[in-house]
Amino acid sequence: MRFVLRRLGFFVVTLWAAVTLNFLIPRLMPGNAALAMMSRYKGRIQPQAMHALEIAFGIHTHQSLPAAYFTYLGNIARGHFGISLTFFPDAVSHQVLQALPWTLGLVGLTTVIAFLLGTLIGLVAAWRRGGFLDGALPPIFVITSAFPYFWLALLAIWFFSIKLGWVPESGGYDVTTTIGWSWTFIGDVLRHSILPAFTILITSIGGWILTMRNNTISVLAEDYVRMARAKGLKPWRIMWTYAGRNAILPNLAGFAMSLGFVVSGAILVEFVFNYPGVGWMFLQSVENQDYALMQALFLLLTVAVLVAILVADGATALLDPRTRDSS
Amino acid sequence: MTATVEPTTATSGPDPPLAEARRGFGADLWRAVARNRKALAGLVLLVFFLVLAVFPGQIAPHDPQAESYLPGLGPSSHHWFGTTAYGQDVLSQLIWGTRQSVVIAFAVGGLATVLAVLIGVSAAYLGGVADGLLSLLTDVLLVIPIFPLIIVIAAYEKNSGLFTLVIVLGALGWSYGARQLRSQTLSLRTRDFLESARVRGERKLYVIVFEILPTMTSLIVATFLGGALYAVLAAAGLQFIGLGDPSSQSWGTMLYWAENNEALGANMVLWAIMPGICVAGLGAAFALLNYAFDEISNPALRMRRLDRTIRGSSKGDRVDVSVDPERILEVRGLTVAYASDEGPVVAVERVDFDVNRGEFLGIVGESGCGKSTLLYAITRLLGPPFAGEIMEGQIVFQGRDMVALTERQLRHIRWREFSVVMQSAMNALNPVLTIAAQMRDVCKTHSNMTAKEIEERSKEVLRLVSIDPIHLHSYPHQLSGGMRQRAMIAMALLFTPDLIVMDEPTSALDVVGQRSLMVQIKELQKRLGFAVVFVTHDMSLVSHFSDRLLVMYAAHVAEFGKTRQLFDQPRHPYTRALLEAFPSIRGPRVHLLGIPGSPPDLARPPAGCRFSPRCPHVMARCRSAQPPLFDVDGDLVRCILYEKGAAPDATLATASEGAV
Repeated sequence: MRFVLRRLGFFVVTLWAAVTLNFLIPRLMPGNAALAMMSRYKGRIQPQAMHALEIAFGIHTHQSLPAAYFTYLGNIARGHFGISLTFFPDAVSHQVLQALPWTLGLVGLTTVIAFLLGTLIGLVAAWRRGGFLDGALPPIFVITSAFPYFWLALLAIWFFSIKLGWVPESGGYDVTTTIGWSWTFIGDVLRHSILPAFTILITSIGGWILTMRNNTISVLAEDYVRMARAKGLKPWRIMWTYAGRNAILPNLAGFAMSLGFVVSGAILVEFVFNYPGVGWMFLQSVENQDYALMQALFLLLTVAVLVAILVADGATALLDPRTRDSS
Repeated sequence: MTATVEPTTATSGPDPPLAEARRGFGADLWRAVARNRKALAGLVLLVFFLVLAVFPGQIAPHDPQAESYLPGLGPSSHHWFGTTAYGQDVLSQLIWGTRQSVVIAFAVGGLATVLAVLIGVSAAYLGGVADGLLSLLTDVLLVIPIFPLIIVIAAYEKNSGLFTLVIVLGALGWSYGARQLRSQTLSLRTRDFLESARVRGERKLYVIVFEILPTMTSLIVATFLGGALYAVLAAAGLQFIGLGDPSSQSWGTMLYWAENNEALGANMVLWAIMPGICVAGLGAAFALLNYAFDEISNPALRMRRLDRTIRGSSKGDRVDVSVDPERILEVRGLTVAYASDEGPVVAVERVDFDVNRGEFLGIVGESGCGKSTLLYAITRLLGPPFAGEIMEGQIVFQGRDMVALTERQLRHIRWREFSVVMQSAMNALNPVLTIAAQMRDVCKTHSNMTAKEIEERSKEVLRLVSIDPIHLHSYPHQLSGGMRQRAMIAMALLFTPDLIVMDEPTSALDVVGQRSLMVQIKELQKRLGFAVVFVTHDMSLVSHFSDRLLVMYAAHVAEFGKTRQLFDQPRHPYTRALLEAFPSIRGPRVHLLGIPGSPPDLARPPAGCRFSPRCPHVMARCRSAQPPLFDVDGDLVRCILYEKGAAPDATLATASEGAV
C-alpha cells in the first residue's frame, strides 16, 4: 500500500513540475512571441477567457507572480486549458481529446508490441548464446538505435509509397471515406497506419532487444538458473520461469525510463506522416504559435509517460513478490 | 570460538580486488578497446567525422552555400551526391554540416556528464534531505519527456542558436547518468578503501575526486556517450521540424530544406538521404562505443570460446571402470578448463576419486582451488557465468558415463538419482516463485504425481528438515537464512536420490546454525541412505561428519584418505596448514595459524609442486618436478616427502614448529 501511495505521490509531483514548467517557460524566455499570439486573439474571445490566457503567459497581468501562479494552477486543475488559435474557437481540451485516440492507437499499441516482441527476441537471443540471433542482432540494433526516427520515416515513404505505391504516404485515413465504424473505414485506417507503425517498431525495438538480452545474460549466470538445470527442468521452462521472469524486471523499469524517448520519436513520425495524432497537433501548435494548445499537449505527453510508468510499476509488482512485500 | 574465516588472510598490503577497484580501468581500458571490434568500428567512425569537422575547408570540393550549379542534379563525378533544389553541392554541405553536429555532441555530452557527476555523486555523498531532494529532481526530470520540453522552449524562441540548443539539451539530459552514478557511489561508499581514506583523515572532496571517481570511469564514459548520441539525434530532429536557425550549416537544416522542397518526390533523393546517413553514422559511432564499454565493464556479456585443440591429446589412457554396485560415483582423470582472455585455464586437472553408496565424502581446500568447479563438473552443471568445459576424463555415476550423456539423457536422471544443494539459498532459489512452486515444477517434470500428491510430498520433506509446512507457500525472501537453506535441502530430498552434492551449504549461516544443519544432514543421511559429496573450505566443520576427505590444492588432489587418518596424521603440508588454520570445536586451545600467501593464479601455475611457493618444507626438487600421488597406507599424498612410502612425521612436526 505504501508502495502505491509513494508512486502516486511521485505522479503528482511530476505533474506539478510539468505544470510549473509550462507557467515559467514563457516568463523566462526573452522575446514577445506570446504577446504576438495574444494580439491575434484580441476582440475574438470573451474578456474572461482572455484574462486566463494572460495569466498563463504572463502578459498584461497586474497580478503578482505567486497570485498568477495559483490562479493558473486552479485553471489547469479544473481542466481550463484555454481556447485554441489553430482550431478557433474550439476549446483546447476538446481538440486534444480528438487527437488522443489516434496516438493511443498508433504509438501506444506499437510501443507495447515493440516492447513485448523485443523482450521476447532478446530473451531467445541470450538463451541461445552464440547462436544466429545472439551474434547478428546486437551490432545491427546498436546501429539502428542511432537512426533518426523521422529520417527512417522519410525513407519508408519514399520507398513504399512513392516508389512502390503500396500504401498511402500520409494522413490517418482517406478523406473521401466516411468516418465511422465501417469495415471500409477501419481497413483504410489500418492501411494508413502500416508505415508509421513499422517505422516506430523498427527504431524502438532494438533497445528492448539489447537490454533484455543483456539482462538475461546476467540472470543466466545466477545460481537459481543453475539450480533449475540441476533439477532437470525442461529448457523452455527454465527460459520462461527462471530466466525470463527475472530478466524482465529490470526491462520493465527500463521501459518506463525510455518511454520519453519513444514519445519524442513518435512526435516526429506523426509529423512526417501528417498523422492526425497528438504529436502532429503538438508541432502544428508550435508552427502556429498556438501556445495554449501546445502547453496542454505537453502536459498530456507527460501524463501519458506517467501512466505508462504506473502500468510498468504495476506489472513489476505483479511479477516480483519482493516489491510487494517491501511496501 | 569465533566465526570461521577463509584461511587466506595472512597476506599484508591491500587485497588485489580493492587495488583493482581503486585503479579503475586505466591502462587496461585501452587494451580492452583495442580488442573489441565494436569499439574499434565506433572509434574509426568518430575519427572520420572529427576530421571532417576540423578540416571542412580543405576537404569539401565546393562552396556549400554558393547557389552556382544547376538545381536538382543527379550524382556525377563533379557532384558526387548531386545538387540541391537551390543548386548547391550536397557533398560540400554535408562536410560543412559535420562541424555543428560534432560540436553539439561533445558540448552536450560534456555538459550533461559534468552535471550528472556533480548531482549524482553529491546526492549519494551528502545523503539525508539533500539526497532526497536531488534524487526527486533527477527522477522527475527523467520522466518529463525532454524532447517535447525542448520544443516548448524553442517555440518561444524560434531560430534559437547553437548556444541555446547546447545549454538546453545539456541541462535536461543529465538525469539518467546522475541516477546511475548515485547508486554506484552509494554502493562504493561503504567499501574498505574509502573507509580507510576517511580514517586517514583525507578530506571529503579529495576522497570523491581521487578515490570515488576513478572507480566509475566506465559509467562516466557511458554518460558522456549516451548524452552525445541523444544530442545528435535531438538536434537533427529540432532542425528538421524548423526549430533552429534555418540558415545554419547542419545536417538537420539540410533535411529541413530537403523536406520542404519535396526532395524525395522530386528525384533529389541523395539530398534527403545523405544527411540522415551522416546523423545515423555519427550517432552509431557513439552508440557502438557505448555498447562496447558496456561489454568491457561487464565481462559476462562477452563470449569466450575454449579452443579444444589446445588440450585433450592424452585421452588414450582411459581406465576401464569395473561395475561395482557399491561404488555409486567414480571419477577418473577429470580435467576441466575455462576460457579466459589469456587462453584456457585448467581449474581441475586429472582428478580421480570415488564415492560409495551411503558415504559422506568431504572435499576441502581454499577458495580458488577448483573444488566448486569439480563439483559442477561431476554434476554436469558447468556453464555460465564461466565457460567451463570438461576436457577429458570419465564420471561414472551408477554405471553411466556422465560425460558422454546428452543434456536430454541427463535430465532424466537429474534430481531423481542425484540432487544438488548450493552455497546460498538466497541466490539458488528463484526469488519470484514460492517454495511450493519450485517443488511443484521439479515434481511435474519427473513424475506423474497429482497436485495433491505433490503438495503432500512437499510438506513431508519440509517436515523432514523441521520446517513447519505453513511456510510452503512462502517466497524465499520471506524465510530466514537458516530456513531457506533447509528448504533447499528439503527440495533435494523430494525424490530421495542416491547422491546429494552439496556446495558449502552452511557457509551462509552462523556457527550455531552450521552445527545444527550439519547434524541434521547427517541424521537424514543415516535415515535415508543417500551418499553425500560435501564441498567446504572449513575442514573442522566436516571432520565429525565425513567418512573420507579429498584435499584439493590448485586444481590438483593434494591428499585423499579417511577423515580420521587425515586428522590424526595429516601428511601433506597443505593439509596440515589447513588444519592449523581452523579452531577445533573441542580439544585444547591452540594458536591459530594462517597460511602465508594465497593459492596460485591457475592461469599461471608455479612450476613443480604447486604448493611449493607456500610450503614450509620446500626443497629444491619441489620447484622443478610435479610430484605424483604416493600411496601411504591407503592414504594418497601428492608430496615427495612420501616418495618412499615413508612417514617422516617426526621431521615434519619439528619443521612445522620451526616455521612458526
